[in-house]
Amino acid sequence: MNVAVFVKASLDPNMLRVDSSGRILVEDIPLAISEYDRNAVEEAVRLKEKHGGKVVALSALTWGPIQKRVREAEQVLREALAMGADEAYLLVDEALIPGNPYTTAGALAALAQKVGEFDLYLTGEGSMDTLSFQMAARLGEALGVPAVSYARALEVSEGKARVTRDLEEHLETVEVNLPAVVSVTGEINKPRLPTLLQIRRAFAKPLDKLSLADVSYTPPSAAVEVEELRLLAVSRKNIIVEGTSLEEIASKLVDLLVKEGIVK
Amino acid sequence: MKVLLVAEKPELLSELAGFLKDLESKAGPVETAAFTAAPSLDEARKFSAYVAAKTYVAVAERVFPDQLSKAALDIVDRENPDLVIGVATKTGNEVVARVAGAKGIPMMTEIVDVEARDGALLFHRAVLGGRAISVLKPALPAAATIPARKYEVPQPGEPGELVEVQLPSSALSLVKVEEKEKGGVNIEEAEVVIGVGRGFRKKEDLAMAEELANMLGGAVGCSRPIAADYHWLPEDAWIGISGKKIRPKLYMAIGISGAPQHMSAVLDAKVIVAVNKDKNAPVFQYADYGVVADLYQFLPVFIQKLKEKLGG
Ligand SMILES: Cc1cc2nc3c(=O)[nH]c(=O)nc-3n(C[C@H](O)[C@H](O)[C@H](O)COP(=O)(O)OP(=O)(O)OC[C@H]3O[C@@H](n4cnc5c(N)ncnc54)[C@H](O)[C@@H]3O)c2cc1C
Ligand SMILES: Nc1ncnc2c1ncn2[C@@H]1O[C@H](COP(=O)(O)O)[C@@H](O)[C@H]1O
Repeated sequence: MNVAVFVKASLDPNMLRVDSSGRILVEDIPLAISEYDRNAVEEAVRLKEKHGGKVVALSALTWGPIQKRVREAEQVLREALAMGADEAYLLVDEALIPGNPYTTAGALAALAQKVGEFDLYLTGEGSMDTLSFQMAARLGEALGVPAVSYARALEVSEGKARVTRDLEEHLETVEVNLPAVVSVTGEINKPRLPTLLQIRRAFAKPLDKLSLADVSYTPPSAAVEVEELRLLAVSRKNIIVEGTSLEEIASKLVDLLVKEGIVK
Repeated sequence: MKVLLVAEKPELLSELAGFLKDLESKAGPVETAAFTAAPSLDEARKFSAYVAAKTYVAVAERVFPDQLSKAALDIVDRENPDLVIGVATKTGNEVVARVAGAKGIPMMTEIVDVEARDGALLFHRAVLGGRAISVLKPALPAAATIPARKYEVPQPGEPGELVEVQLPSSALSLVKVEEKEKGGVNIEEAEVVIGVGRGFRKKEDLAMAEELANMLGGAVGCSRPIAADYHWLPEDAWIGISGKKIRPKLYMAIGISGAPQHMSAVLDAKVIVAVNKDKNAPVFQYADYGVVADLYQFLPVFIQKLKEKLGG
């Protein structure tokens, strides 16, 4: 069973950078693997361990400047390789920067079709930078296969996947014929932490870079322009309550809450 | 301009009508059509009155996103809207994303505001874990979803013309459905919210947070893993971009690291207190008052001091 897993090199929202006017310095924010894509890789590797086959990690670079970002995106794919993916492919093309699910989905589908035949395509439920929650649905449309979102549990047997979808009001278990796209939640598993040896071995695994021409894909021309990107201001007192004992700290905190009018 | 509203449940049409009213106040009158799945034509008629426009209805009890999106695509082809708008539920986002994918048009998930500037429509949405707002100008046609329960429901008008449509079959087949436990807590209304995170080692230990909440007349909320992964609390206690947004007088984050996806939903709290044993935890950047301590040592002492104060 061959699994394609999509991992995004996302702007890390834990490492936001702004200038003095509050403008976000996108180019200075480091890229990291999108939080729930680790769960997608983990699930892919578990399926391989159970059913055999291979895991291929796929990514499209969506943040520039390319020169600077390619290494960071490769690092993200190396992480997937260290967790147990067998091969990785990175799509790098000016036409995909800055990214938008609208242009990226078709490109990722073309990349998947170029590099192999898959029984299952896994994504995270949503990416931590753009929070668009669209990719699984769009990939399903682009690949012409069913898409099932918000998997909290996934089992595969005899050409079918059984997926428990985590929805607002209920858990819904469904079956679908493979191939299919499945998006996973952060709760589906506990991603493994690769060992140092696995991290080192990941450097010996194949990681190829391709362009849109290599995968014969032309993105749609109509644009989505980003007019502004601004940080929501946080202005807090940032006082660390200190003292020589926990009693003293606790008393001080109670007094502060009285002063704030919360404890009466 | 023409808008197609897409809803998986007829009630959502009334929220979409609220959005429409806002859009019209900014961009002038729009032509509208709607599509909803509904348990009966009567239900659909009732809610069609809110949008007061031609409403396509698929009568069905339970629907999968692929059925709705296929039916919606036919309607898009008939109506040629400039905008397709749904509600940002899990199903709503997926249905609209599929329509956008099939039509090859942009989609903006969960737009928090719309703005008309120089004759173009701009859409505001939260990005970067909810810590930033991005303002987008898409080429039309485009699609978007609005946050659930954001827009005030306007007065209903006359029901529009109802057009019944058939749903195609789904690629999914249902095996079973389990209802989720409901907690009945309302952290959105509480004046004090005690937030618990993975710093707590077991469910029983949340009793300390419950006690604090009781003393302060508040409710216990939590980070995503506490509700979604461990099920120590019902999901209506879950705070964050994929849970609830709150604006209490006091938010006290205990054993919570302060991920942007959590903290962006508490930015409107009047006072934020953080208790974490790691002095470098990001949660302190969001706090008015921080206590660097092991919660297991600090909370019993704090509860005692608070009791003395409240009792005295
Ligand atoms: C698309 C997306 C959506 C998300 N939506 C949400 C959301 O809606 N809500 C949400 O909460 N998260 C959300 N997340 C997840 C978020 O990124 C974090 O993983 C999560 O908030 C972490 O929860 P936590 O702080 O409880 O746990 P951790 O990050 O594990 O933090 C535990 C903290 O407890 C401290 N601690 C440990 N022991 C003690 C002790 N004895 N005393 C005091 N302190 C202690 C530790 O120092 C640590 O800081 C989302 C992520 C993504 C990618
Ligand atoms: N540029 C990308 N490269 C690889 N995978 C991606 C990319 N963008 C999104 N994805 C996948 O799609 C999921 C959902 O992303 P989104 O719809 O953008 O929120 C992510 O968790 C990834 O698995």
